[in-house]
Amino acid sequence: MAEASSSITEKFFLTLKSSDGDEFVLEESIAIQSITIKNMVEDGCSSSVIPLSKVDTETLIKVIEYMKMHSSTSSNEEEIENFDKKFVSNSINTILNILEAANFLDINNLLELCAEAVANRIKNKTPEAVRKIFNITSDFTPEEEAEIRNETPWAFEGNLDHSLD
Amino acid sequence: MLFFLVSCFSFILLLSKSWKSTMGDISNIWFCEDFLKFLASWFRKGRNTISYLNLPLMKKPVESKLENVEKKEDEISLLDLPDLTLECIFERLPPNGLCSMAAVCSYLREKCTSDHLWEKHMKEKWGALIGSAAYREWQCYIASRNNDSLLENPRKKRDLLGKFSEIRKFLWNRSKGNEDNSKVRSSSAIMDWYLSLESGTFWFSAQVFNREVQNGHVGFTLSCYDAEVSYDCNTNTFRARYPSQGRRIVEENIEWNRLRAPTVDTPPYVLHVSDCLSDLKPDDHFEIQWRKSKEFAYGWWYGVVGHLESCNGNKLNCHCHSSDTVLLEFKQYTPGSRWRQIVINRKEHREVGNEADGFYGGIRKLYSDKEISLWKSLCPSSTLE
Repeated sequence: MAEASSSITEKFFLTLKSSDGDEFVLEESIAIQSITIKNMVEDGCSSSVIPLSKVDTETLIKVIEYMKMHSSTSSNEEEIENFDKKFVSNSINTILNILEAANFLDINNLLELCAEAVANRIKNKTPEAVRKIFNITSDFTPEEEAEIRNETPWAFEGNLDHSLD
Repeated sequence: MLFFLVSCFSFILLLSKSWKSTMGDISNIWFCEDFLKFLASWFRKGRNTISYLNLPLMKKPVESKLENVEKKEDEISLLDLPDLTLECIFERLPPNGLCSMAAVCSYLREKCTSDHLWEKHMKEKWGALIGSAAYREWQCYIASRNNDSLLENPRKKRDLLGKFSEIRKFLWNRSKGNEDNSKVRSSSAIMDWYLSLESGTFWFSAQVFNREVQNGHVGFTLSCYDAEVSYDCNTNTFRARYPSQGRRIVEENIEWNRLRAPTVDTPPYVLHVSDCLSDLKPDDHFEIQWRKSKEFAYGWWYGVVGHLESCNGNKLNCHCHSSDTVLLEFKQYTPGSRWRQIVINRKEHREVGNEADGFYGGIRKLYSDKEISLWKSLCPSSTLE
């Protein structure tokens, strides 16, 4: 206990504020996985609340969960692997939000994990399925559309996935 | 707020330290937890703070808080992601994924056709087989493709070019301001090349090991011939066209491991200038040009330098490396076969032979273990007559 106590004395805490106004208190050692936050700490800007105007509460909670799992010395590789697997099964919208947050917060391994997740979801999709999943409207004319189809090798089309999940 | 929290904690720690001397460890833990619980409920009541201090008891308020978070109406779109983040996704897509994304809308088309994304795929799949010769052929291919379509159907060509330059102009202006259109045009050059290789529309120069052997022409065992090849992505094999007098010989179903990029710049009908003659000694591996008659193309044949007849093969007193003649051996043929060995003159060898036995031309000594083991893997289990 004495040892545990003394290790706690060395901990510093940061308060992160989401775009929804919610504040989260987090150990500095965990939070500085974000290079953005690390830079703020080093520049001495972390004494008050750190506002994260681009990250909403739902996303920030996910990001904190991720950082905690990946900084914890008690979690082993298998645990982290299982956590990541479950993490990327979030809805595609959540993943996109986390991606944007990971970019803003500069957490490279989280960015890579989510980029991989998005790539895996879309890699075998038809263009139509991708449009539906991401709500994108095609701005090609019918002639351009036909031209583009022609350039893609016919063999690619056989194993494409039309589903939206 | 932060200061308050930190001061609270130092308070707990002070307490726990001072109590340690008087109380046991267990009671100390209980005290801490109770106190933290109190702290937690205090925060929950009045403040907008959610503490994240590794405390399982704090999870509930966070979750209930979440339910109250209003669902945002304008959900994030893939297209809203910053460029670098999009790149992170796209560089993880396989070629067909990139093609698919490039057909979604003009914005994604611009991103997913860019050279740097395709370079990786090009290198990965085609890097080993596509040499500088094939690259030059590709340059000619696109030049002639453009000319052809211009001659065949000028109107169609004009429409096509007009349309694409329009898209490109639009894309370019949107992203980088006004600059020359041709830059945008070349932005999809590697993708274009990749797809031409993949679809088999582009034939390129390569060399084929053991040509036609699987079709019963065992005489070609342990040789490598120049050919024009094209890929069939359905079977993941190649078809090859061999130049032959006046007609083309075609071979199908050639696996990847039977192909290589030409190793020297010498074209198939030109005598290669040997630069390793003085260096050849027994047990060296080599390739030599051989042709049946002067009208045929050369093929490269694998062999090993042997010991001269005057030498007993004993390494200690072997002088084969200092002799003016070199014995080249082709071990796929039985000893005594007229193809089994040939002696050449180290000093003045260019091409030797006659219409009956064929002509032996330039020699390449093999230095790389990879090349040697490739040849060895092609060696037949039994010798040929």
